[in-house]
Amino acid sequence: MISVSDLLTNNRIPGNCFAIGAYVQGDLEMGLLENRQGDRLIALPETLIQAIYAGLEKETGQASRLVLFNCGRWWGKNFYTRFCEQLTSYYGQAPADMPMIQFLQALQQCWVVHGWGKIDLDQTYQNRGFLVVKIWNSAFAKHALQATQPSCFLEAGILTSFLSQLTGRDLHCVQTTCESMGADCNHFVLGLAKRVTPAEAMVTQLNHDAIMQTLCEGS
Amino acid sequence: MNPQIEAVFDDADNRYLKPEELGLLSQYTQSIPARLETYQSLRDYELEIMQWAADQLQAEMPLEPVENLERSIKNGLLMLRCCAMAMLVNDQGLIRDRFLVWSSSMTTVYGSHLIDTTLYGLLNRRLNQVLGIERMGLLMPMLVYAQDALPSMLSQPAPEENGIAIGW
Repeated sequence: MISVSDLLTNNRIPGNCFAIGAYVQGDLEMGLLENRQGDRLIALPETLIQAIYAGLEKETGQASRLVLFNCGRWWGKNFYTRFCEQLTSYYGQAPADMPMIQFLQALQQCWVVHGWGKIDLDQTYQNRGFLVVKIWNSAFAKHALQATQPSCFLEAGILTSFLSQLTGRDLHCVQTTCESMGADCNHFVLGLAKRVTPAEAMVTQLNHDAIMQTLCEGS
Repeated sequence: MNPQIEAVFDDADNRYLKPEELGLLSQYTQSIPARLETYQSLRDYELEIMQWAADQLQAEMPLEPVENLERSIKNGLLMLRCCAMAMLVNDQGLIRDRFLVWSSSMTTVYGSHLIDTTLYGLLNRRLNQVLGIERMGLLMPMLVYAQDALPSMLSQPAPEENGIAIGW
């Protein structure tokens, strides 16, 4: 016999933690936007993203990619901590105890509500030791300066540290397709550094599927 | 707040509301007492209604593991609460943002469509009995939206249930 009242915790049924109307709140008198937990949110103008790209390119040249990647890693490390805190607080359950589908669904909704585009995890190559992440409508791809190679280094950094912490492995990330180069979405491949790094040399010559095939053959 | 009314307030900005805008506002405010009553009934009888549906569900699907039935019942509770709030503020978008985008992938991954559909049928039957025709008239459009929108969203691929295991 199922007892419905036993299925409720504190009379709550947690749903979408990142539902836009409930997640983004504001104190307009103070000029603040906040999330559910009261952490500050700021809106990033597109021109600032363009300026970051242009400024870094001017000051550091090719090193700007590494700078952005490392900024992303820093961001991702803190994002993972905050994200897990938010999940624990809202669902009353540590992420480690959550069904993976719930965790992924929350990540997708979190991405959407912050205006970072749409994210999806493709586990086709999971049994070969690679995880593919797809992102659509990335602001960082849209405002990239040039389009001769993938440009979402910030996101590659975020994914590197976020998924490294999630899996407990030291992962690396290489972007294989980019919206700034006319692709329909941004593909990122994650895996152990020594296995995924060869992809860096292939991105300008091979398409995503061919890169994945070569990476899998090399293992 | 109902998005149509919110838009009316936003558009009015520095002028008076037009007659048709006032009509919309008046129509909604007049429906508020009935909406509040329906909402309160749902809140007060939720457990009783859902317990009846859960008992029937278990009787109709005796071979289904309890874990699966419980998951669908929790999903049904979330659906009902979202519909209640959406009915109160007359905003279907709230069901999309708080329920549909959340439950669609879960339904695919867990393959719970048949259980959900059976539960919804039972739930609607009991809601009709408990709430009566007039109150159901307010709630039904929300239930239809929440329960019928799901199959079309299910056509989208969802991530697998397995945990992420990479890096070996």
